[in-house]
Amino acid sequence: MEKAFSIKNLDLYYGENQALKNINLDIMRYEVTAFIGPSGCGKSTLLRCLNRMNDLIPNVKINGEIHFDEMEVVNNKIDVVDLRTRVGMVFQKPNPFPMSIYENIVYGLRCQGIKNKQTLDKVCEQSLKRAALWDEVKDRLKDSAYALSGGQQQRLCIARAIAMEPEVILMDEPTSALDPIATAKIEELIQDLKKDYTIIIVTHSMQQAARISDKTAFFLMGEVIEFDQTGQLFHIPKDKRTEDYITGRFG
Amino acid sequence: MRKRKLSDILLNSITAISSSITIVLLASIFIFVFKEGLGALSLGMFTQPYWSENYYVSIPQSEGEYVLDTELDEDVYYSSKHGIALRDDLDPQHEAIIVIDYIHPDSSFNALTNKTSGPLEGTEIIINEGMIIRKISYLGTNGVVRSAGPVVKQDAKETVETLEKSDVLSEAFIQSQGGGILGSMIATLYLILISLIIALPIGIMTAIYLNEYAKFHKMAPFIRSSIELLTGVPSIIYGLMGVLVLFPITSAFGANGTSILLGGMTLAVILLPTIIRTTEESLKVVPQNFREASFSLGANQTQTIFKIVLPSALPGILTATILGIGRIIGESAALIYTMGTFINDDPNLLHGATSLAVQIWSIMNGEQPNFALASAISIIILAMVLIMNISVKTISRKLFKRW
Repeated sequence: MEKAFSIKNLDLYYGENQALKNINLDIMRYEVTAFIGPSGCGKSTLLRCLNRMNDLIPNVKINGEIHFDEMEVVNNKIDVVDLRTRVGMVFQKPNPFPMSIYENIVYGLRCQGIKNKQTLDKVCEQSLKRAALWDEVKDRLKDSAYALSGGQQQRLCIARAIAMEPEVILMDEPTSALDPIATAKIEELIQDLKKDYTIIIVTHSMQQAARISDKTAFFLMGEVIEFDQTGQLFHIPKDKRTEDYITGRFG
Repeated sequence: MRKRKLSDILLNSITAISSSITIVLLASIFIFVFKEGLGALSLGMFTQPYWSENYYVSIPQSEGEYVLDTELDEDVYYSSKHGIALRDDLDPQHEAIIVIDYIHPDSSFNALTNKTSGPLEGTEIIINEGMIIRKISYLGTNGVVRSAGPVVKQDAKETVETLEKSDVLSEAFIQSQGGGILGSMIATLYLILISLIIALPIGIMTAIYLNEYAKFHKMAPFIRSSIELLTGVPSIIYGLMGVLVLFPITSAFGANGTSILLGGMTLAVILLPTIIRTTEESLKVVPQNFREASFSLGANQTQTIFKIVLPSALPGILTATILGIGRIIGESAALIYTMGTFINDDPNLLHGATSLAVQIWSIMNGEQPNFALASAISIIILAMVLIMNISVKTISRKLFKRW
């Protein structure tokens, strides 16, 4: 089993406030790993470290190591643009660009300098098929992305990320803004995607983590309390705090 | 109890009276301008020059009958012997004038020559419909040269009747109607083009730098406050700055003194703070999650700004542009210094001219202030400002519809 990320002794500070404390975690490829925990525990923060999205926030200081293949992600000298083409992200609220469906999908490719129409068309079709959206939109690729429903827009964002052919897809509460049917469709999609991609998903819903993830990490106040096979963590938690959270004694 | 009721009534009535005063004041301004100016408004204003030209011309021999082939309005009198139609009209001073309504294509009035002694004597003079007849001299029945037209207190009908009785016309005094705004409209257009070409790129790029690249830089708040301050500086100060600082630049281009170029550059400086501020506001309103999505797909900052952020901010930038145009149309103090006050019917970038607003100043500043014409131009300016404001509202509404 290959490692996707190897996180060692990671600390993160928002100014004076320490948001992540001594994180040590190995994330394996071609699995779904879930980060769960109460609000403000640092799970989204850690997720955003993996593709350097925390660079967009001022006054952030990070110590420690994140190994991704040969790259050391925390090191300032790496090509962040290259990292982000290999580690894609889907956000909590679907955020398609104010453009057509087609232009949304091929945006990342265009930024890489790919202009050939056949290539773009092919990638667009492949990505939409992989994201289980092709049949619904294949006749209206030139329509505005805003014409789609919330669930469709989120699948569009997934397709957009897939178009870059990443190795990892990070998902930050991807279904919390969607209705149950749309949520179910995306959970089904994730199960399919893990054949080809490593998926790390932050979720507020323990039930969702239990349904779709292979491994789960429980976060509390910036630390990883427990990290285990999902079945183990939910049925035989090793830490009392984990047990309290799972049984709903605190949320 | 009674005392409180009285003070309540007093306060309430003061607010009502103040509103009434405000409405009356604003209404009187509009009513005054419209009353004075509506009569002087005409379509001809948009195509005519301001300064009237005087022509002293010889009329060649007419070639017989010129049959009328078009419809003429009532109260227009046609001389078929000479192929010219005249009507009565009033000039801006409400004096009676006789205007050329129609010239037959074959009429000898198409081949007039200059009779003024001097270097241009004998050259061809073109006269148009819309010009005024002051006097036409003709050969009377007893061989004596006589005059027809307003100079002998004839109206259009009487003049035409007199002309029909005579075979030979010798000369005429013709005058072009002035009071047009063509020159000022062209100058205003030049001003808008020059100032926007300079101010828009510099302003937009500055706003992008401040809001996207240097957002958290130490100096950024100071720069932003300075720009904010500059939006409130009275424009006459910018006029002085234009004359002192920008004038050498226009001299290098060949302008000697006031010029449209100098006025345009000064206006660009006046517009710059407003454009920077409005663009910055439009950039701020672009949702942060657009930027995040763009970065997460592997775009760098330049691509994110120019492919996603800037296009989304365009409606706001358009609003800034239209507001800027509105300000240019209304600007006067700065332009009086940098563009001059001489009404130029043939504007040239390197020479002075007047914008519409400055033309009003010029007209009112002469020995014979022409209230009617000034008010007419005011109506035109008000109409333009109204159109600008409506456009801004429509675009803002479209903006909000998108999100």
